[in-house]
Amino acid sequence: MSSPAIIRLEDVSFSYGDRNARALDGISLEVFPGEFVGVTGPSGAGKSTLAAVLSGAVPHHYRGRLYGAALVDGHDTCEVSLTDIARTVGSVTQDIDAQMVASVVEDELLFGLENFGVDHDQVEGRLSGALETVGIAELRDREIATLSGGQKQKVAVAAILALRPRVLVLDEPTAALDPASSKLIFQTLSQLNRDEGITVVVIEQKVALLSEFCSRVLVMDGGRLALDGTPREVFAHGSELRRMGVDSPRVARVSNSLAEHGVIEPGPPCLSVGEAEELIRGLLAGRGEVPLPAADTAPCGAAPGTTSSQASPHAPVPRQAEPVPAPVVELRDVGFAYPGSGDGVSHVSLTVRPGELVGVVGQNGAGKTTLTKLLNGLLRPASGEVRVAGIDTREVPVSRIAAHVATLFQNPDRQLCKDTVLDEVAFGLELQGVDGDEALRRAAAAAERFGLPAGESPFSLSRGQRQMVALASVVVMEPQVVLLDEPTSGLDYRECMTVMETVREMAERGCAVIMVCHDMEVVSDFAERVVVMAGGRVLADGPAAEVFSRPDVMAAASVEAPQVAQLSRALARSTSAEFAGISQVSGIVDLVEEMVRP
Amino acid sequence: MTSVIDYVPGNTLLHRLNPVTKLAVAAALIVATLLADTYPLLVGLIVLTLALGAYAGALRRLASLLKVLVPLAVIMLALQTAVVRTGAPVAAWVTTDGLVTGSKACLRLLGVAMPLILMLSVTKMGDLANACVEVLHVPYRYAFTFTTALRFVPVFSQEMTAIMEAQTARGVEYDTRNPFRKLRLMLPLCVPLLVSSVGKTDATALAAEQRGFYLRTRESCYKRYPLVARDWCALAACAALVAVGVAL
Repeated sequence: MSSPAIIRLEDVSFSYGDRNARALDGISLEVFPGEFVGVTGPSGAGKSTLAAVLSGAVPHHYRGRLYGAALVDGHDTCEVSLTDIARTVGSVTQDIDAQMVASVVEDELLFGLENFGVDHDQVEGRLSGALETVGIAELRDREIATLSGGQKQKVAVAAILALRPRVLVLDEPTAALDPASSKLIFQTLSQLNRDEGITVVVIEQKVALLSEFCSRVLVMDGGRLALDGTPREVFAHGSELRRMGVDSPRVARVSNSLAEHGVIEPGPPCLSVGEAEELIRGLLAGRGEVPLPAADTAPCGAAPGTTSSQASPHAPVPRQAEPVPAPVVELRDVGFAYPGSGDGVSHVSLTVRPGELVGVVGQNGAGKTTLTKLLNGLLRPASGEVRVAGIDTREVPVSRIAAHVATLFQNPDRQLCKDTVLDEVAFGLELQGVDGDEALRRAAAAAERFGLPAGESPFSLSRGQRQMVALASVVVMEPQVVLLDEPTSGLDYRECMTVMETVREMAERGCAVIMVCHDMEVVSDFAERVVVMAGGRVLADGPAAEVFSRPDVMAAASVEAPQVAQLSRALARSTSAEFAGISQVSGIVDLVEEMVRP
Repeated sequence: MTSVIDYVPGNTLLHRLNPVTKLAVAAALIVATLLADTYPLLVGLIVLTLALGAYAGALRRLASLLKVLVPLAVIMLALQTAVVRTGAPVAAWVTTDGLVTGSKACLRLLGVAMPLILMLSVTKMGDLANACVEVLHVPYRYAFTFTTALRFVPVFSQEMTAIMEAQTARGVEYDTRNPFRKLRLMLPLCVPLLVSSVGKTDATALAAEQRGFYLRTRESCYKRYPLVARDWCALAACAALVAVGVAL
């Protein structure tokens, strides 16, 4: 690129306060006008610190030691004020509620315009322009407190956009959003990048979004820049990324894995389902087998119960539970509505048996969290009946239901309240009347198992570790039912896998697990059964592979099926019925290998 | 999520008054209530506040406030009768003087608490802050601090509810019927709440600075808040109200 870099970091290192540990360690980086840069990496890699350096919050807001030079539009950030940096770089931070300075959308946008002294005859144009660009013109007079997470995120972007920055820096803008809203945010950013020429730097954990939208991806690890290139270049390093604890898009894993197995030449990975489908169709085209017409091979049309087990030998075989145990969770035609709004659930019936791991998916507002609250007793059904571990939740106080049902909430900080990790983990046991010494002994064992520092304060730990503390205090209770509300949000890939492996072990030991989750890849990896919700109702309930291969249900719930499910469906239609129902990368790879080498 | 200070939308004269005038109306009602010493005036002021509330469509808001205030007022009445023992005895320890001072204290409590809530509920926080800066020359950073604090009240109460739900689901007895036990259980939660509020406030300060907070002057505001004829009329009425309070 010929134009000069708009952001230039020269060997930048930063450590917070008096700490010696470097959050950033010798970063050199140039960002050019018009780029759409995605930044990813494990927790604690220094991603948020990098964003703070780019926006001038380091060194102007956070105390610490900064080495090297950070230049924004040619000016050293140490030599100009934060306000002046903000004229070039607009920043949207992680905590969206804290980002807001007003209570009404219009005032939120006016704030910056007024402060920067935009001519009053231009204000209206800029204000309505920014709202229209982000697609929220109708929200102008709304109270911010009444907006959804995705809408707030858009307001935050619009408020920055009205100031016409040349660079937009966003720190995990989709962390709290469902897949559909996450994609909308990225589409908006992409449009700003393309049409308005705004340079975008976005920190993001969702690798599928990075690979679809970004022109360049940076991977950070331990405060350093580990990889830097186009998505295709970066995701070709599949095994290296995995070692760091960074996920790759599943379709990239398919092509990388095929290359590792020697089925294809090593090269740039596939980044979309279409590319992967084309690659595999091409590979298998020479075999001479003519694919059957689509209608005959489409898995959803076939008898549903049989597709996953018979049509494909590669679908995961559900664990054999010998004599079917009696359900531990039973909802019969349950209805609940929040006062003053139409939200809630209606006519929900659901049974879960010990040892089952059920994923609940759907958009924000579909009634998933309401469902979990009905199960742990925080909400009582207005109609119908909820029985958990033999208890009717209407008859027993919540604090007693807790002996049978343990909940892992999305935000671990709301669960923690003790001074040390050990006390925290033992607390739940003590509340259930377990003897103090016995509780501490069991807590110590649990803390050790998760590798947690028993004597430290939970609040001094990283976000991922705090989630582990919360998880340990759930596991130690040995409950009959575990509810997980977005157990993986805010965690990096490695932490996510640790959490989910633990959950799977609990299920194997006979615990019924119900997991609300936005991450379809996690759901398809771990849940055998999936419940799809929309508008407070259950749309579908069945084996994961089967549910994910029903496009009608996925569309009605605004859920995108996991990439592997999309790929196997596409291949089943175009290439061979044997692909139907495969839900794992290894299943696809093994089948392709088998077919290519008869 | 509704709290007593949420904005009640509307387009009545009360809504259209300058925010500063509305503050003056509330202040006049409160001062008159404090000065008033006769039943007709005390009751009249409360009726006036309720009538204004009904006119502005905020009567339901005042009613929910009264639900909290009336029991408080009754407790106050009981305490006053116990303290003031002069005058002719009525029944048990209660005397005529006790009843008179007690009932007036009750009416004052109601009369003082309602006007401000009424005025806040018909004013947008942003407008109040901007008008105070423009008309009363209040430094913007104080106005901003004030509105931000008010804005955070529901945010933190939501956070507190979420924390209590999470703790109840772990087995802490927040669902106990004993209010003292509940209070004792709540105290340890202040620390996590404080930690998260300090973090939030710091983030808000950074966000405000990054959008030019320090460049802001009294002239920055896009909307203007001049005092117009209806405001002067209202202010005159306020002065009259205080005068009545002094007289009666």
